[in-house]
Amino acid sequence: MLRLPLGLGLVAFLVASPALADIARIKTTSGAAAVERGGQRLKAAPGLTLQKGDKLVTGKDGRMSLTFVDNTRFALGPNSSVSVSEFQYDRTRQKGTMLTQVDRGSLAVVSGKIAKSDRDAMKVRTPNTLLGVRGTKFIVDVGK
Amino acid sequence: MRLALLLAGGLLVSACATSSLVLLPDDEGVQGSVAVLEAGGQPADAVIADGNSRTKLGDATPATKPLRGKGLRKEEAALLTSLPPPAKSFTLYFQQGTTTLVPDSVNVLAALRQEIAARSGPEVEVTGHSDTVGSEEDNDRLSVSRAEEVMNWLAGQGFDRSVMSAVGRGEREPKVATADNVDSAANRRVEVLVR
Repeated sequence: MLRLPLGLGLVAFLVASPALADIARIKTTSGAAAVERGGQRLKAAPGLTLQKGDKLVTGKDGRMSLTFVDNTRFALGPNSSVSVSEFQYDRTRQKGTMLTQVDRGSLAVVSGKIAKSDRDAMKVRTPNTLLGVRGTKFIVDVGK
Repeated sequence: MRLALLLAGGLLVSACATSSLVLLPDDEGVQGSVAVLEAGGQPADAVIADGNSRTKLGDATPATKPLRGKGLRKEEAALLTSLPPPAKSFTLYFQQGTTTLVPDSVNVLAALRQEIAARSGPEVEVTGHSDTVGSEEDNDRLSVSRAEEVMNWLAGQGFDRSVMSAVGRGEREPKVATADNVDSAANRRVEVLVR
């Protein structure tokens, strides 16, 4: 049988509805919780989708939880500021890279497919440390 | 001289925010690790691998201590409680060459609906597959139709299409590897991931 050239073969991964370019979705929020995106400040609410570069910010009574498209899960505690500065994920190959910056406060993480895809594909930066995540559950806390 | 250096070092550290790491086993009880790749702006090469431990970050070789008897701080426990539930996967099976579910899979639809309804801010990924009976092109179309059939049913149940996506992978990703043109009930399926 005639083999399709590679370019045409890829078209055959037919998409019935537009694939979401979004990287994550907010699951729950409480208190003061916002997403800063390109100078705009969006109120965080369940179902809000996130994009690469978004900064998640909570106030002193604020909390936020979210799940990324690679199944990585985050929970932010009060008084926190966390940016997802890099995020790239190939749903078909289940591989990608991700860099999260914790500038202030607390972040609980359960890693997903990105952390499994390659050594240190998932990184977390605090003001004094760069961490490579090798498939696990952890809490990062950045105090004053 | 040495004192001066120590003092300078102390000032440097106190000028930075302090960071700490609590490492825990994952929900399946598997213990992963976290590597320290940089500390204080310098490359580092340390691995934190002890579960249920606390590490003060900032040094190239950070000291890890087991969590004391009291375990997690109250705020840390609250943080873990607020993590979203893990993603959950469902598989629906189809009759040969059709978008009709096998009878056993009809019950799975109800469980799927319940799972989505129970989640805050849910997202649903629907992926259709076929067995190897027929041409690759026909199976691409069939796998998409199966995924759409499931997505349309969910939309009919009141779930917003904007939280759902459907793709077809044809016969490329069989659950069970077979030769071409083999009838396989296990491969005629739709996988639904709810997160």
